[in-house]
Amino acid sequence: MTQKRIFIQAAEQISIQQPLSQQWMDEPLSYDNRLVKAVNPAFRDYLPANEARRMGGLLKRALVTTMKVLNDTAIDHPDAIITGTSIGSLDCTEKFLDAMVENEEEMLSPTWFMQSTHNTVGSTLGIYTKTHGYNTTYSHGAMSFDLAVLDAWMQMQLGKISTALVGGHDEMVESYFTLLKKAGYVGQPGMVPCGEVAMSMMLNTQPTSDALCELSEIAINQGDKYYSLSKTPTYKLQTSNLKLQISNITDISAVMTGINGNPANDLSYQTLVANLFPDRPRLHYKHLFGENYTSSALGLYAAAHCLKQNHLPSFLYDSDSPCLVQELNSILLVNQMENQQFSFILLKKL
Amino acid sequence: MEPIYITGAGVVSAIGVGKAETLTSLIEGSSGIRAMKYLQSRHCDLPVGEVQLSNEEMMEMLRMPYDPFLTRTALIGRLALCEALEQSGLSGEALSAVPFISATTVGGMDRRELCYAQEKDCDCNHAHALIATHNCADSTKMIAGYFGQFAFLSTVSTACSSATNAIITGANMLRCGMADTVIVGGAESLTMFHLNGFNSLMILDHQQCRPFDRDRAGLNLGEGAAYLVMETEASLNKRDATPIGRLSGYGNACDAFHQTASSPEGTGAVLAMQEALAVAGLKPSDIQYVNAHGTGTPNNDESESYALKTVFADSLPPVSSTKSFTGHTTSASGSIEAVFCLLAIQHQFIPANLNWHTPMDNGIIPYTTASAGLASGNPITHVLSNAFGFGGNDSSIILSGN
Repeated sequence: MTQKRIFIQAAEQISIQQPLSQQWMDEPLSYDNRLVKAVNPAFRDYLPANEARRMGGLLKRALVTTMKVLNDTAIDHPDAIITGTSIGSLDCTEKFLDAMVENEEEMLSPTWFMQSTHNTVGSTLGIYTKTHGYNTTYSHGAMSFDLAVLDAWMQMQLGKISTALVGGHDEMVESYFTLLKKAGYVGQPGMVPCGEVAMSMMLNTQPTSDALCELSEIAINQGDKYYSLSKTPTYKLQTSNLKLQISNITDISAVMTGINGNPANDLSYQTLVANLFPDRPRLHYKHLFGENYTSSALGLYAAAHCLKQNHLPSFLYDSDSPCLVQELNSILLVNQMENQQFSFILLKKL
Repeated sequence: MEPIYITGAGVVSAIGVGKAETLTSLIEGSSGIRAMKYLQSRHCDLPVGEVQLSNEEMMEMLRMPYDPFLTRTALIGRLALCEALEQSGLSGEALSAVPFISATTVGGMDRRELCYAQEKDCDCNHAHALIATHNCADSTKMIAGYFGQFAFLSTVSTACSSATNAIITGANMLRCGMADTVIVGGAESLTMFHLNGFNSLMILDHQQCRPFDRDRAGLNLGEGAAYLVMETEASLNKRDATPIGRLSGYGNACDAFHQTASSPEGTGAVLAMQEALAVAGLKPSDIQYVNAHGTGTPNNDESESYALKTVFADSLPPVSSTKSFTGHTTSASGSIEAVFCLLAIQHQFIPANLNWHTPMDNGIIPYTTASAGLASGNPITHVLSNAFGFGGNDSSIILSGN
């Protein structure tokens, strides 16, 4: 199978940075708090007030980033809507649980339950945009977004679809944050804040003049196996337990990882990068966008816009980066889940 | 499309642990929907389709030490996966080349809801355990952990069509050449969360559910798991494995109508079925049996009837909803019913739609005669199975004989 080229035509975010803009490249917001909620746009500018009232924050953010992407690309009905969300409408889940325990299983409102299923986001996007195409949701922790990208990639390679709206969406509430903090996942000393994620992007097999970059490779592996579509490796990277096919290591202008200041998370990134890409420039993004399950979506968003603008803000460099980027041609995104499952996505400048 | 072979199948539900018990129940027409026994809920008057084993009994069957943190979903999933792997002959090192794609929605909510009131005071170890039971990915990990290292893990969560969509993701992986073998399916246990959720929507029947009956009054919740081992022809030949059937077509579409209701015309259902037929290269008249989504809710059965009539017109084959046996096993239903379809093909019978008495207005008339062997000489070769989820995540698959 000849590999089809795939382009990221548009990507928008609502996160702990200024929403729906690339202002973070010039004036990044920084926080001292350990839990930071999303900076919401004025939803009324995008959604009818009666619609907005019925929806939780996660849904509104997913919908608004989607509407902006559809508007920017003039694609009203993508061939597929593929969503990654680890914990879905957590707020509604927690509210329903609270009410169920407090009211001893009586007099429960269905509204929270209806919005609590993980596919609420993806199906709401389908309902709101009247898009009848392929629609699915991956809820696999920190790999949720990467698996959604992989799905779109596969179907594009198979020729089943040519456009796909792919998103990563997660919210956070105080009670669950406290639990995650106790378990050592977030809120640790020296760690980036725990944030909220809404990122929607349009993938297209057609190159368009507005495209941000090319989505060149994706590989997801567990332990010592790797999966990649490119069947003609001219260069194979290999360590004891990680392999990746890239045509030439110098084709990677920089490696962007999900380090977050928590040694339990960072060590495997640092080991991997030191072994596989010892002399490549190192970038990070979670100090800007925070940690949450689908934060990798914001890393991809940031990298895509840097490639489009041919500009890397200095604050994206990891403090232990061995050098700076001489010529920005590509960024390799590395994401990992509990030091067990790894994802590699290579973006190339157009 | 290029053939996708199924070389292993495992199933656990209210009508049995394993294919043999399941087959007997299906042929005898004995439903597993009973009074609540294991779930600790105030709504114990609601009939449910429970797996007839306690967590402790399942741990014994799995020959593992007692572990209070293992969720019921994970235990049911492990039992089903054991059977699928055993039939396929895959184990140990061979699994490291096999992606495992599992479906769930509430995952380990059964554990979390039991401890929810004490959460605020819990220590770090318990916090770990509670998080690990809330997250869908952890449910998949808990199931996989018993068997060794898989190539990678993935969790699909599209409510009641989750397992069918896991099958679809696995099929795309095989067709892309990303793997030679995949394991796909879903697992879901009964939880207070789910029971109360569906109860708040007022779509739970206080009797055994009556799919496609005029007087149907909702669904019964069930639990269970099923997994399929699917592989390419090359892998089949290389391993010298024996297929039990094929996945010959699949379709996924969005109804794009409402969060909890299907459109009156069943738009998403029609698109999903038509796509599955197109991918399989089959005509509606080539299908000998439809395993309907058929939840027993007024809305689903009306919408699905309309969709079936649209797709099949004059060539509608026998249709039944096996949710009258198992209850609605939500995220696991797609793979559980896929195993039922494989059994129907292998043993040449059509499972009955139980509890049906009166035709509904404009509804389909389901197949109600439970019997081994078919009266007509029309062999069952191709079977279509539907699974529709909240929000209109509609999917259909076609299973075929060899």
